[in-house]
Amino acid sequence: MHQVEATVNGATRRAEVSPETTLLSTLRDSWGLTGSKLGCDVGDCGACTVLVDGLSVNSCLLLAVQVNGREVVTIEGLGGFEYLHRLQTAFERLSSFQCGFCAPGMIISAKALLDENPAPTEPEIREALAGNLCRCTGYTKVIDAITEICRDRAVAVEAPA
Amino acid sequence: MKRPGRGIACMWYPIGFTVAANPSSAVVKVNEDGTATVLTGTVEVGQGSLTVLGQIAAQELGISADDVHVVSADTDIAPMDTGAIASRTTFVTGNAVRLAAAEAKTILLEVASEMLGMEPGELEAADHRIRAKTFPDKQVALAEVAARAQIARGRPPLGSASFNPPTISMDPETGQGKPFAAYVYATQIAEVEVDDETGEVEVLRICAAHDSGTAINPALVEGQVEGGIAMGIGMALEEEILFDAEGRQVNPNLTNYLIPTSLDVPRIEVDVIQSYDPLGPFGAKGVGEPTLVPTMPAILNAIHDAVGVRITDLPATAEKVLMAIKERAEVKPLGRG
Repeated sequence: MHQVEATVNGATRRAEVSPETTLLSTLRDSWGLTGSKLGCDVGDCGACTVLVDGLSVNSCLLLAVQVNGREVVTIEGLGGFEYLHRLQTAFERLSSFQCGFCAPGMIISAKALLDENPAPTEPEIREALAGNLCRCTGYTKVIDAITEICRDRAVAVEAPA
Repeated sequence: MKRPGRGIACMWYPIGFTVAANPSSAVVKVNEDGTATVLTGTVEVGQGSLTVLGQIAAQELGISADDVHVVSADTDIAPMDTGAIASRTTFVTGNAVRLAAAEAKTILLEVASEMLGMEPGELEAADHRIRAKTFPDKQVALAEVAARAQIARGRPPLGSASFNPPTISMDPETGQGKPFAAYVYATQIAEVEVDDETGEVEVLRICAAHDSGTAINPALVEGQVEGGIAMGIGMALEEEILFDAEGRQVNPNLTNYLIPTSLDVPRIEVDVIQSYDPLGPFGAKGVGEPTLVPTMPAILNAIHDAVGVRITDLPATAEKVLMAIKERAEVKPLGRG
């Protein structure tokens, strides 16, 4: 068994795990963070996407021991009942999701994109979401929501102080 | 060389099914604070049907959708529903909810008629009030009526109803009948680019016009259409379950059973055509399965327009399209009409 200590959504978390334990199962089963979803478990669907040191990764393909000493952000780190991240607000306003199973991973991928590139083009948005499969929405309203956020921010930046 | 093509396809589709009876039941109770609770056996899987059912109850009762709590999918407490299948929920369950809400409203109107000194038929429920149709200033808060109905009059405002779509059996002599209560119609246009050296098809744009009756929630109708088209693109170009000689599926996961990603689904433009179905709840029909029906023929017609080949065996993979282009080239070289 291995000791893992990581910063998860700003708080220090510890777990004792067997070597083959994935980050996803540690998040869900040891730390109770069930926002990240177990879809395919082989890195195809993206429902388990989290940020590790700011980069989006499939947490089903990462071993828990690999995040020892690193910083993990899950969907729970973006918002909750009292406060929603601006991405979540935009997705809610545009009815971007239907069944919602892909939503946590999709939102994390969108955050990773906007952290790196605050003004992406539509092809860049599509490229960033290509690892997050959605069977309900046709991606249309997901892309609309991200586009809207970028436009709102661009207007805010251009507006005189 | 990439060759552009456009294709169009139309469809009609029946709402609900007709093998046997197709009923839904619902219970609506109006609470003493003017909110309402809907009990339904149907299941929400992301399509937004509970939102729509809440809107239907709210419209009938003259309250806001935020004030309707929909309790669903628990057969211990909810009345019977045939299911979230056959694109039937808005039409069939929606009618049951509307009728149940109307029954609860009847009690409210009767109690309010005593309070306002008017006949129930002269009253309407709107804007969280029961008010005179011709003198809207003559009104009483719906919450007050609901509380009075329950506490003073001993008649809790409650309604329950079932709806089974009316159909006409086939006449064995003429072959005529009406197997479904409502039909929806749609047209989609696909713009594609076909690489005539690889057979690869890229869908550049899809425009979709869908008549779903009166859209109770247009944003949700758009979402259904967009999602259906994405599935249609998968069915047209890449999705195929492959079996080995022993009947085992050889592509049982998303690595090799490919579904469209954000890079495969193009801009989708949805035109929600508003019509009014006299049997539908507030004129609504349905939207669900029909959304992907025209997608495949529109794409296949666009491939034909681009490179002159007819693909009749889905999915139209690059290999199949290229093979068809080569076969055709032996007969008639590309680019000569």
